[in-house]
Amino acid sequence: MSGTGRMEGSGTGGPLLRIEGLRVGFRSADGGVVEAVRGVDFSVAAGEAVGVVGESGSGKSLSMLAVMRLLGSPARTTGGRVMFDGQDLLALDEARMRAIRGRDIAMVFQDPQSSLNPALTIGRQITDVVRAHRQVSGAEARRIAAESLERVGIRDAGKRLDAYPHEFSGGMRQRALIAMAIACRPRLLIADEPTTALDVTVQAQIVDLIAELRRDLGIAVIFISHNLQLVAEIVDRVVVMYGGKVVEDGPVEAIELRPRHPYTGLLQACVPNLTGPVGPLVAIEGAPPRLGRMPQGCPFSPRCPHVVEACIEEMPPLEREAELRFACWRPQ
Amino acid sequence: MRGLSSTLRMIDWTGWLGAGIVLVMVCAAIFAPLIAPYDPVALSIEDRLLAPDMAHWLGTDQAGRDVLSRVIFGARASLAVGIGAVVIGALIGVSAGLFAAYKGGLGDQIVMRIVDGVASIPLLVWAIAIVGILGVGPVRVGPLLLPNEIKIVLLVGVLFSPVFARVTYAVASRVVGADYVRARWLQGATHWDIVSGDILPNCLSPIIVQGTLLVAIGIVVEASVSFVGLGVQPPQASWGSMLSDARSAIYSGEWWLPVFPGLAISITVIGFNLLGDAVRELFDPRSEARTLVA
Amino acid sequence: MTGPILSLRGITKSYAQGTAFDRLFGRDKRFVALAGISLEIARSDVVGIVGESGSGKSTLANISVGLTRPTSGEVLLDGEPLSALMRDHGGPWRRRIQMAFQDSSSALNPRKSVSRCLTETLALRGVPKPEREAEALAMLALVGLGAELAPRLPHELSGGQRQRVGLARALAMKPDILIADEPVSSLDVSLQAQVINLLSRLTRELGLTLLFISHDLALVRTLCSRIIVMRKGEIVEQGPCLDVLDRPTHPYTQLLIAAVPKGIKGRRQQAATVDIASPISPARESAG
Repeated sequence: MSGTGRMEGSGTGGPLLRIEGLRVGFRSADGGVVEAVRGVDFSVAAGEAVGVVGESGSGKSLSMLAVMRLLGSPARTTGGRVMFDGQDLLALDEARMRAIRGRDIAMVFQDPQSSLNPALTIGRQITDVVRAHRQVSGAEARRIAAESLERVGIRDAGKRLDAYPHEFSGGMRQRALIAMAIACRPRLLIADEPTTALDVTVQAQIVDLIAELRRDLGIAVIFISHNLQLVAEIVDRVVVMYGGKVVEDGPVEAIELRPRHPYTGLLQACVPNLTGPVGPLVAIEGAPPRLGRMPQGCPFSPRCPHVVEACIEEMPPLEREAELRFACWRPQ
Repeated sequence: MRGLSSTLRMIDWTGWLGAGIVLVMVCAAIFAPLIAPYDPVALSIEDRLLAPDMAHWLGTDQAGRDVLSRVIFGARASLAVGIGAVVIGALIGVSAGLFAAYKGGLGDQIVMRIVDGVASIPLLVWAIAIVGILGVGPVRVGPLLLPNEIKIVLLVGVLFSPVFARVTYAVASRVVGADYVRARWLQGATHWDIVSGDILPNCLSPIIVQGTLLVAIGIVVEASVSFVGLGVQPPQASWGSMLSDARSAIYSGEWWLPVFPGLAISITVIGFNLLGDAVRELFDPRSEARTLVA
Repeated sequence: MTGPILSLRGITKSYAQGTAFDRLFGRDKRFVALAGISLEIARSDVVGIVGESGSGKSTLANISVGLTRPTSGEVLLDGEPLSALMRDHGGPWRRRIQMAFQDSSSALNPRKSVSRCLTETLALRGVPKPEREAEALAMLALVGLGAELAPRLPHELSGGQRQRVGLARALAMKPDILIADEPVSSLDVSLQAQVINLLSRLTRELGLTLLFISHDLALVRTLCSRIIVMRKGEIVEQGPCLDVLDRPTHPYTQLLIAAVPKGIKGRRQQAATVDIASPISPARESAG
């Protein structure tokens, strides 16, 4: 497991994806702009698996939709750069972006039900993606589709190509979507809470599958989730987001064993586990800041047990210390 | 709720135009005796068929009656039938839809099949046929003597009711399954309280949108019934009967006789349609996204 | 009052499947949601029911409160059959058993303020009108919410706040038994902890009997004294919570335990997860 993907900053021409100062805003009713993503920086090396973790409203999904240029009105990117392969995705014209989407960067969403077209066979939906990006014959596209389905652990893939989405269980639909995502052998797979809508046992299988694909095919993965325990099972590095900002970023072992930002520690502590003594759970009191009502200083300051005056007045910068980056005036 | 000012800002200019037209027409109908320059039924042989001028802005008809005054008074019949029929239709249809959705099972089946039956009646043909059979005079129902206008309102209202029943049923079936309704049921709240306090208020938006759009159809139905002489009876003014009287004028060059009542119908119908679209837009959850983040 | 507060006797529930044509030719199959469940819940017991979708745990919850009628079998509330009690729709027995729902977005009437939602509930419990406002605020305080939320409408609340108002509404009836159907599964982990701690406190302080339905074993372990594991409409394992989770005997229980995310510790167990998963999951997957 270790040894894969510690490539950030290694001299192989920089990271695969570098997000710099990304900002996403909504147009509000009074004509102003409310920012939900407020300057996000992080990068993903080729073949690396990165978990993006935070509560709902932290801006994690919005950031990834902005990277894919899939934001719908009223949200739009208001600043920053997304460097992929030496080019800024945010500056590309739509035709060139379409060529990259699905071929170089693929995305899997939370709800497999609504991500598939119920009127088309699974095979048709995968071959459509293949033929949109590669000049291949129909038979060749079908062969690639069958291979992808097999790759994600669906047996009898050749026959299953002719099945419709409703003939698949929830877990199989998510597998089919992953097959669609990897059909063109992308270099980056963005998975947005891909297991939230699934049963726990199926969730474990899908997480294992993503880990396996990444290992065997060398695909870099961004895994978005609110469950740190879940992503920690398969990623190399964790980016913790809160209030539209990255508050901590580092190798998974350090994040899990010795997090510096109080939010990361609390986020971990409030999930109970199956061992150890039974007692009251650690709860983070209060709720995440609402959009448009972001505190002036650290977004976590109203809920933080270690808050000092500086936290309320000024947002701490994201600074590197050893292998971690964190934004906190009073790191733990 | 969202602030009133941000809600009003969501209405675009077509919505305001629709609201303006409807407001003008409603005022015309209510204040007709104050606004109209002449008596709409006063005959004047020497003023027959005058083209529009400063004295008679929209000209006069074959009996020397002022067309502007008749158009203004005609708004009464049109709006009364349009709005009256919608109110009647909504009362019947919404009750039926709520009952079927809440009751479920056999009651649901029976009510909605009756609704299907009524909906299969071609609206205009039946309105004309029934008035034709009953005659244009007042009808006695028990102790009540119903004038012809009320008869048309009731008739069109009944024919409108399936539209309301179906809209209500569609929304209410979803609301009935919501956890807040199930919670009220578990608390032992009365069925009446559940339906009137929890289900109906959450079904209102599409019903109001439907109602606004149906007023326009009601106006057209009234005009059509009056056009064939079964609606508002002479000498009272109605846009439909004015058009009917103007048929011969089309060939003899008195263009103002058909044009102005025709315009009144079109503009009012457009007004209600624009207003209906604006109301739909206001209630549409997707358009709410625009102000959701504020 | 020494008997079980809630007992289920041989509860089955099945639904017709297939088209009208299938039924016409007698080819219809029946989907069995519950295949003969019997269980007893003692006063002040905190019982967790775990299982995945299709296990029948939500159907069981709905049948226990009378929202769904069983195909056969009987629910007894304090020894009285629920089917008989239900003939008296608004009767005083109603307050004894209440339910908290999963989806915080549909649990509250979007057009009623928090205070109205609670006062109308209190009215049904028979609280005199002048006392309702104060009592509603007391219910809010009980679930850890401030009085400033009382005039708000549901969309002005966060998911966790809505979930707690829903809980306050159920508790406002002063139930003896509360059935909570996945009450935290739509919440973020931090809110989850808040609600679980609240439920835990209420069972301790009020002696509330709680039937906690969840797919999250770790939460059940934190909250419950007894656990019932369900799969495909049957109970496959039950017993004291810690015993079952520490020493599961049924392979399905073992599978559920293996599937709980364990952070970096989970990495070394990945191979094991697959091994345990293989006897059951391929059948599950291809059945779909």
